[in-house]
Amino acid sequence: MYTCANYPTSGIVSRSLSHCVDGMNDSMKEPKTASEPRGVALAQSNVLNDPRTSGDNVVITHEDIDRAHDRERVSETRARRGFRPRLRLFWLLIGPGILVMLGENDGPSMLSYAATGARFGIGFFVPFIVLTFAMACVVQEMTVRLGAATHRGHAELIFDRFGPFWGWFSMIDLMVGNFLTLVTEFIAIRAGLGFFGVRPAVAVLSALLVLSVALMTHRYWTWERIILGAAMFNLVFVPVALLTHPHWGTVGRALVTWRPLPGGLTQETVLVLLADIGATVTPWMLFFQQSAIADKGLTTRDIRFGRVDTVLGAALATVAALATMIATAPLFMHHMSAANFEAAEFAQALQPFIGHWGAALFALGIFEAGMVAAITISTSSAYAFGEVARRPHSLNLPFKQGRAFYLVLLLEAAAAAGLVLIPGIPLVYIVLLVNVIAVLAMPPALLFLYMLVNDREIMGKLVSPLWANVLALGVVIVLIGAGLLFGISVIAPHALALVGGK
Amino acid sequence: MSAEVSREELTSVMTALEPDQIVFTKEHHHCPRRRLTRNEMLLFWALRIYLVFMVGVVVYQIWTGVR
Repeated sequence: MYTCANYPTSGIVSRSLSHCVDGMNDSMKEPKTASEPRGVALAQSNVLNDPRTSGDNVVITHEDIDRAHDRERVSETRARRGFRPRLRLFWLLIGPGILVMLGENDGPSMLSYAATGARFGIGFFVPFIVLTFAMACVVQEMTVRLGAATHRGHAELIFDRFGPFWGWFSMIDLMVGNFLTLVTEFIAIRAGLGFFGVRPAVAVLSALLVLSVALMTHRYWTWERIILGAAMFNLVFVPVALLTHPHWGTVGRALVTWRPLPGGLTQETVLVLLADIGATVTPWMLFFQQSAIADKGLTTRDIRFGRVDTVLGAALATVAALATMIATAPLFMHHMSAANFEAAEFAQALQPFIGHWGAALFALGIFEAGMVAAITISTSSAYAFGEVARRPHSLNLPFKQGRAFYLVLLLEAAAAAGLVLIPGIPLVYIVLLVNVIAVLAMPPALLFLYMLVNDREIMGKLVSPLWANVLALGVVIVLIGAGLLFGISVIAPHALALVGGK
Repeated sequence: MSAEVSREELTSVMTALEPDQIVFTKEHHHCPRRRLTRNEMLLFWALRIYLVFMVGVVVYQIWTGVR
């Protein structure tokens, strides 16, 4: 911690967020255009002349200094003209959107895409997956605006605006769901490295080591670049798909016609659809992206890049997802049943079609998917805990200052990793429980998100326009409805049979 | 013992960050509680009922799994 005892402060004159920030001395502020929207209105008084705040001290922290350095680079780049500075600005500002979308392509998701390709081939699910990622974009864009406008994480906003009960509920709900999801990620890590003969304990401990090493940078920027690099390996499924020599005409036709759907719209297919729609957005994605945007220090000036970041992330994730489906389509064409396949089994089953190196790439992709998701999911838990428990929470913090933040992150991951190594643990049952909890936890999470993004007191001019609200509400209703129906189908399978289907 | 911030670091923080990005400000001044409209209060009560349902479902799932 640091102090600046003799510097007049940016004091706060009112508890209301709309007057939450006194204007700093204008000469100290970054120049802004007149038309620039701001989520938080600035009070008119000059704080240096404000007698109520004179003599107050602001404590400047290590976190502030690191974040300020990152923002200075953005400001300097923004001030320059030309293509290369624009490209550099893009490079500086992207990150949270790509991480959250590629993190959503986690181990179970990639296996789910593989199973879909093996079961249904190239057809209906190709455009369907594109649609699910488009829906994810609509939802995640709201977190971009919220984070940039309020500079606060999602859990913190829920706590502040809706009260401690909903704040603690959201955090605990997230952490429980995340913990179980982390178990599935370490299952994928174990399975992916199992293809190479790596023992489960070695695989899991190595993953924990990677996760810990990434944190040792104590800089959000550096951590983000490392994880982005790892996340790009999600695209390893593209060369795997190319090795199967897919018929691109079939892929193109499927994209346009949404056909074929082998077997038609059966109850099984409906369940797959519901599960996929319900899993389009998971709670950790909302919490992670908003908290990462706040930690990165993005402002309302960066919202456009935040949107580009999110769309780019969705595009990359869609490509990886489609590639995975296409990669396992040969199993469908050869009528091979892959209903109970795990990662290593998919890789082994594909080996006759794509060779040993192709199968190795597939297994590596599953490992990467689990690894990146384990990092982003455990980080989202740590952010949420810090925000609700009012503890320091930033990847810019040294371990001593962010002890609670880092311990939550590491302990949650370590506990999940340990669970995977217990012999006889019902891992299949845990995967099922994760799906149920994830879909049940979505309605409150989406509801809070929708209310916050339309909260004029905190969003100011950045509240959603009517058309965006209609779109967002439609997506939210579809996600909630599909998730609940899937949840009902898992708990009471006969209930869905009564509705219809072959 | 706290370290003194250099003038450069202080200027950097004050110019590069928006006031409500400073950690001290965020820690000491939180967003105020939202005043809920009547419809929103009804929605939150529905959410509480949903919460009970949700916990019940999860407990049921765990119980059937254990059995």
